[in-house]
Amino acid sequence: MNPLKSIRLIAGREISERLRGRATWILTGITTVIAVALIVGPTLFSGATKPYAVGLVGPAAQALAPTLVAAAKASGVDMTTVNVSDDATARSELTPKQPSGQGGGPLASLRGGSATLDVALRLDTGSATIEFYQTVSPTLAAVLRAVVEEVHQRDVLTQAGVSPSVVGALQQPEPITTAILKTAPSDLAGRRIAALAAGILLFFTLGIFGNAVASGVAQEKTSRTAEVLLAAVTPRDLMTGKVIGIGLVGFAQMAVTIGAALLANAIVQSSLVPSEVWVLLPAILLWFVLGYTLFAFGYAAAGAMVARQEEVQSVSAPFTVFLVGGYLLMYATIASPDAPWVRVVSYIPPLMPALMPARLALGQVAIWEMPVAILIMLASIYGMARLAGRIYATSLVRGGPRLSWMSALRRR
Amino acid sequence: MLEISELYQRFGDRVAVDKLSLAVNGGEIVGLVGRNGAGKTTTMRAVMGIYRPLGGSITWSGHPVALSDRLRFGYMPEERGLYPQMRVLDQIAYFARLHGVELPAARSEAQRWLTRLGLEGRELDLVVALSHGNQQRVQLAVALVYQPELLVLDEPFAGLDPSAVDSLSDVLRAETARGTAVLFSSHQLDLVERLCDRIVILEQGKVLVSGTLDELLARSPQRLRVRVATSADWTANLKGVEVISKDPLGVLLAVTPGMDTQAVLREAMAAGLVEQFGLESGGLVELYRQLVSN
Repeated sequence: MNPLKSIRLIAGREISERLRGRATWILTGITTVIAVALIVGPTLFSGATKPYAVGLVGPAAQALAPTLVAAAKASGVDMTTVNVSDDATARSELTPKQPSGQGGGPLASLRGGSATLDVALRLDTGSATIEFYQTVSPTLAAVLRAVVEEVHQRDVLTQAGVSPSVVGALQQPEPITTAILKTAPSDLAGRRIAALAAGILLFFTLGIFGNAVASGVAQEKTSRTAEVLLAAVTPRDLMTGKVIGIGLVGFAQMAVTIGAALLANAIVQSSLVPSEVWVLLPAILLWFVLGYTLFAFGYAAAGAMVARQEEVQSVSAPFTVFLVGGYLLMYATIASPDAPWVRVVSYIPPLMPALMPARLALGQVAIWEMPVAILIMLASIYGMARLAGRIYATSLVRGGPRLSWMSALRRR
Repeated sequence: MLEISELYQRFGDRVAVDKLSLAVNGGEIVGLVGRNGAGKTTTMRAVMGIYRPLGGSITWSGHPVALSDRLRFGYMPEERGLYPQMRVLDQIAYFARLHGVELPAARSEAQRWLTRLGLEGRELDLVVALSHGNQQRVQLAVALVYQPELLVLDEPFAGLDPSAVDSLSDVLRAETARGTAVLFSSHQLDLVERLCDRIVILEQGKVLVSGTLDELLARSPQRLRVRVATSADWTANLKGVEVISKDPLGVLLAVTPGMDTQAVLREAMAAGLVEQFGLESGGLVELYRQLVSN
């Protein structure tokens, strides 16, 4: 029979059997729900951001209001001041209160109560008290301390007889020019989230579907179904059809999950993930295709080497190690996308599917890098297919105990 | 015609098949008989191209067997050889399509075979949900659905009840009537006797003997059955004669070269009325025991 027809038949059986089973639908449902929840959840629970409310207790603290606001603004903290009459009132306003009645909607009780003030400041002669109900921005705390310390220094110098002009000069900071040699993307947080989401999705999908190939091959070997199949098709066509069929199901699942997440993102207008991230979608799907193809051939060879179905996990361990290694290195890549070692390591073929999408999401891939990376990956896939094909053909119908990689590589 | 010539295969230090030769013609059922490890499965797997033998040749219609020829072979391995989680009808049709049958014909033929093998109504069942016997019927349907020219069946009768055995036997006979060549292996010698046109007995990878049933039976040890109307043990006086068995059908004596059967007859007549006195063949079982023990 025509090889293409055989491959199409074999792939078609894989697709129809997987779509007929519940596992594929359940898995797709789970990944889609998780992806949508990750987008929609923070938007539902965060509410509108509001400035920090700083309560100023007493005239001395209240006199500092303009200074505090200016200092906070210079530090990038959004803050307003509220005059509070006494400590008891301040403490009351600091304590969160649960919403009563129907106000706040069904999610209000989940959000917890809200307080009028985030922090209260009281200034006395020679001392100051800054009171929080719970931890707020460290930057705000630092701004408040700095202002209070500046006031204290001024008071001490004035009492020591230092002239106001000298005090003013002392407290006037040196003119400092800040220069940024390389500007980070303004949507860096969103890009990091996109890189992380892509990496997690790729890791789980490659792992699940790669293992599905190994398990399927092992099942055909141990049940002797492979012997019946090989009367009609070549080992190469059998392996290729299986890899393609399972891969198409995985691709569809990824596309559904990503599509649902992007749709949710567009609907809720999440501030977490910029809408421009959709341009990464083709790249993520491309790296799934390349990564899955590379790993799937390896997993197929591993599945052909087992003597019992239970041995699949241990025989395919080398490929799982690379998948896990790539997943862990993905976090390091997100943290330091322009580090030289990251650039080098991201060209190791089994690690590429994990690292290249992350670098791409963070804008750290030059134009020439992608074609080069794809070429390297294609060459690796070709080499893996040849090697795996040889192991698959010789191991699939060989009985006896589980084969080692060396014995599987020897010609029959 | 399938022709296996001087087939040789070794796995490590163990010689599985040692210069084995046999042939299967169209319309003929050839039985491969031998104990476990005799080389039956190895021979069949070589025919199906599952491995490349180290020596010898396997030809079909005079040329080396190619993948295109194997598309016309039906194979039933000793294990199930089926996808357990696949529906019965889908599975049979799938294998038919792999062997070149188009989809509509594959499904209609699959349905026809299910009906013929008594599995009507089980089309949508998963294979794993069927009994052992029914799974074997599905396996047989997989091997037959594309009307093969050669059937290679490894222990097809193993574990079947008598009615299933009869049903399978009928199918094989019908296939040979159609011109299909059938090669099957079995431990059930009585079945092989009933079904096969020719029988090949293997031991340690070699052919011990092969031929038609009549030819083999002629080589089988002869026995003498004597029934005398007496309850006395008249065989006690027989010298140098081995008594194989005693039952209501009479006494069964081993016939050895040079044995004086007339002396046995005289001893029987002296004991009482001789109701039966005649030679019979030991059958395939006796021949097999004799060959293997030698």
